[in-house]
Amino acid sequence: MPPLKFLSDEDIKAMHEATLRVLQEAGVFWTHKPSLEILQGAGCTVKDNRVFFPPNLVMESIAKANKRPVIRGRNGQVNELGGGDLYFHNLGGARDVFDARTGTRRIATDQDVINSTRLLDALPNAHTITPFFTPQDVPGELMSLYMFRHCLPHTTKPVQGPGIQFAEEVKYAVEMARVVGIPASELTLSLSPVSPLTVHDHAAAAVIEMAKAGVVSSNLPCPTGGATSPMTITGSIVQQSAETLCLLVLAQLVNPGCTFVYCGRLGMLEPRTGLIWGGVELGLSSAATVQLGHYYGFSVNVYGFSTNAHTLDAQNAFERSLNAAIPALAGADELSGIGEMEAGVMGSFAQMVLDNELAGSVLRLHRGLSADAEHLAVDIILDVMNGTRNFLGQKHTMKHLRAGELALTKLAERNSWDTWEEKLERKQMADHAIDEAERILREHEVPPLEPQQEKELDRIMAAAETEMVKKK
Amino acid sequence: MSEELYKQMAQSIIEGEKETAIELAQKSIELNMHPLDTITKGFVVGVNYIGDQFGKGEAFLPELVMAGEAMKAAVAVLEPELLKLGEAREMMGRVVLATVEGDIHEIGKTLVGTMLSASGFEVVDLGVDQPAEKIIGKALEIDAQLIGMSALLTTTMVRQREVIEELDKEGLRPRIKVMVGGAPITKDWADKIKADGTSEDAVGAVQLAKKLVGKE
Repeated sequence: MPPLKFLSDEDIKAMHEATLRVLQEAGVFWTHKPSLEILQGAGCTVKDNRVFFPPNLVMESIAKANKRPVIRGRNGQVNELGGGDLYFHNLGGARDVFDARTGTRRIATDQDVINSTRLLDALPNAHTITPFFTPQDVPGELMSLYMFRHCLPHTTKPVQGPGIQFAEEVKYAVEMARVVGIPASELTLSLSPVSPLTVHDHAAAAVIEMAKAGVVSSNLPCPTGGATSPMTITGSIVQQSAETLCLLVLAQLVNPGCTFVYCGRLGMLEPRTGLIWGGVELGLSSAATVQLGHYYGFSVNVYGFSTNAHTLDAQNAFERSLNAAIPALAGADELSGIGEMEAGVMGSFAQMVLDNELAGSVLRLHRGLSADAEHLAVDIILDVMNGTRNFLGQKHTMKHLRAGELALTKLAERNSWDTWEEKLERKQMADHAIDEAERILREHEVPPLEPQQEKELDRIMAAAETEMVKKK
Repeated sequence: MSEELYKQMAQSIIEGEKETAIELAQKSIELNMHPLDTITKGFVVGVNYIGDQFGKGEAFLPELVMAGEAMKAAVAVLEPELLKLGEAREMMGRVVLATVEGDIHEIGKTLVGTMLSASGFEVVDLGVDQPAEKIIGKALEIDAQLIGMSALLTTTMVRQREVIEELDKEGLRPRIKVMVGGAPITKDWADKIKADGTSEDAVGAVQLAKKLVGKE
């Protein structure tokens, strides 16, 4: 379907020009010597720990990048971004688990990383899996790598690497991916610059390592509109774009043509609490980010399912539906957030099941409508008017039901009051989701890795521990 | 040989392939298969299957309708053969169906009619906008055991009560049982107007009808 536009072509051009001006005149706080040398060598000016980017360098970098990433799972399943399809992945990096059955929360463990991966493996609309929880029972320096290690054996879907912070992590993540048959060029890794416009030394070093390894880089600037970026949404998107493009410039200088996904994680400040996230501006800013990223020809990944709610309640449903549907209609290539709750701090298994269903409906919206002769169905109308006077018995009806004219939900309650009360014991959608998550975790099996592969992953983790933990 | 054919017959109903069902019915006649066996061992198996699937939420309403129509078409081919043999398919019962006076909606009622006849009831469908005296008159004329009344509107559902009161006044109940249905109809409403039952869908209506005529 034609993408929904919140900004005119002139508006987008103005945002593009504003972004170039920010990179050229405001620059980026940057102290990492090796990368500054590379940037200076390409024409950037460095002054007072800030690097200023000439517009032509930014434009050249955009032109050089591979914008059509392919990401691979260990069974060979691939997701090809940028071809008009919409893919969903889950939230990555939640601290807490919400137990929807008891309404309580707890700190996530590595077992939760495993269980969430296995559950997501069974949900057809979770197209890519990223390690969901941040297990608190492993050393902090190794947390991201452990998340990845626990994820790999429990799905055959494409796995997004964890958000990384250090250059060393890149090497080990790439090695682990290779063990399960995923080449670096089809592995996604991401890191976050600091807002406003700050790239710390370890982040700069990691960008260089990612570029050298040739991984798909999908960096995640996370400005907070009103606090670490302007209160105005378009202004924040301009800053966010500058924050991601400055990393692109470095990566393209290190490895011209390496793959880049344009991502946005802008959240607007909730001025009454200092938190961010769930308001409808999230959907709005994600949609505008999609529009700006597509202006450059990039595949775009933005926030999808997002809420501040702490339970599976009405607020949760209304916030996440709007925040996912709006960027989807704007043509997002990837949306995040499956399973997310409480502004990304928490996740729940029942929420993952609910989001799988919601994603199905969003995908239906995204597919839009067809107005060809087959869909306009004039011949069928003529037949029915001359015959049975209803469409129930028409082959056309079943044909298009099977072809997906309706997104047939599984959990949403569609019965009468009497059936709902007597047969379904007044169960609501969330109750069904809790049951379904438990059923999947009981029954779903993922083909295991070979024992040799498991050993190899352990060896890599041991090496990482030697280098990264003992060093400190 | 006939076992294989019975399977194909059931399958033609499940898939709602009316033309195939007709062809198979004709073939069974050519092969001198007994038409009653053809119906009960072949086509009925398909209707029962799709009804069960629908009841479990695993088949769609249009599939049910297509199955019902395929069944009707197959039975229409076989009925003359039965007559020639001087036999008849065992009738579950005779039913008069109508949409009540003032209401012109009938897709649900028509579907109930299709499923009832596919399940072995003799159905007289009077159509829409039928006053009480017409419905009752027809029921007496054909000696029906059942009346099924439909209403889509909350403004016309009250007419269902009028028909029931009329039947009571004439002393025709419990000889004639009454089922009510339609979008606004609940179990509470059916109880309130002293109907003998209601169902939310056509498969449930067939079960209810069987129960009311003692053929469960």
